[in-house]
Amino acid sequence: MNNKKIKECYFCVNNLEVDYKDTRTLRRFVNFYMKILPGARTGVCAWHQRKLSDAIKRSRIMALLSATHK
Amino acid sequence: MIEYLGFCLIKGIKELFRLNLDISQYRKTIITMSKTKTTGVTHYEILFIIPNKFTEDEAKTVSAGVEKVIEANEGKVTLREFWGKKRLAYDIKHNAFGYYSLFEFDLEGKNLAKIDTALRLSVDVLRHQIVVKTPKSAEAIAKEAKIRVKIDSKKAGEAKKLEEKIKSAAPTSTASKAIEKDDKRADLKDLDEKLEGILSAKDLI
Repeated sequence: MNNKKIKECYFCVNNLEVDYKDTRTLRRFVNFYMKILPGARTGVCAWHQRKLSDAIKRSRIMALLSATHK
Repeated sequence: MIEYLGFCLIKGIKELFRLNLDISQYRKTIITMSKTKTTGVTHYEILFIIPNKFTEDEAKTVSAGVEKVIEANEGKVTLREFWGKKRLAYDIKHNAFGYYSLFEFDLEGKNLAKIDTALRLSVDVLRHQIVVKTPKSAEAIAKEAKIRVKIDSKKAGEAKKLEEKIKSAAPTSTASKAIEKDDKRADLKDLDEKLEGILSAKDLI
């Protein structure tokens, strides 16, 4: 992930819904250490950031995403 | 003085009665607005992991068993997906691999707890997660399609602009390059002719 700030929300611009099964897109909003990145960094709007954090936690529970890096 | 006091008392009592009534009504509204009590049919989605000790066919029978549990609790399964064997992001009970299976179903809210406990107690299911899924209405789908078309047209427009930019910037450079190439070729041709002329000349030797 670039250190540059992105200004537009990925989900708003592309008209997408946040899905906990779609790990490929969720991986974009997670750190190397698998920590959830802040919305200010990724440009995701507050409404979608709430859905996103829920989705990431759900996929962690189902072992689709790991909670730590290995 | 006494009259005034009596008046105040009566007023106070009246006020108290009114407040009391209000509170009782307020309580009633709270009870009816309760969020934990779900009535009617809702759409759910369940994803569960079957341990690696089974073969793929056995795993499929296990997922069929889960479907039976849902149907036993008056649920209607609308979508079945079997993802197959996948590597888990971390080990669950010493299982590095697992079979993922997904169902969507309609169910009355009060029966959800039964399915949950049944799956929690079963040994054949490693882990499961039930999520409420709001089905899209026809209007929402139409609106989404409209937005999609808009986004696509916008993207296409941007791509066109980029192409035009490249084209407008490119011709001078490519044309000049082409001219240069032609010049070089012409030079080479001239040189060849000159060489041949020199070689063919008998005066040389």
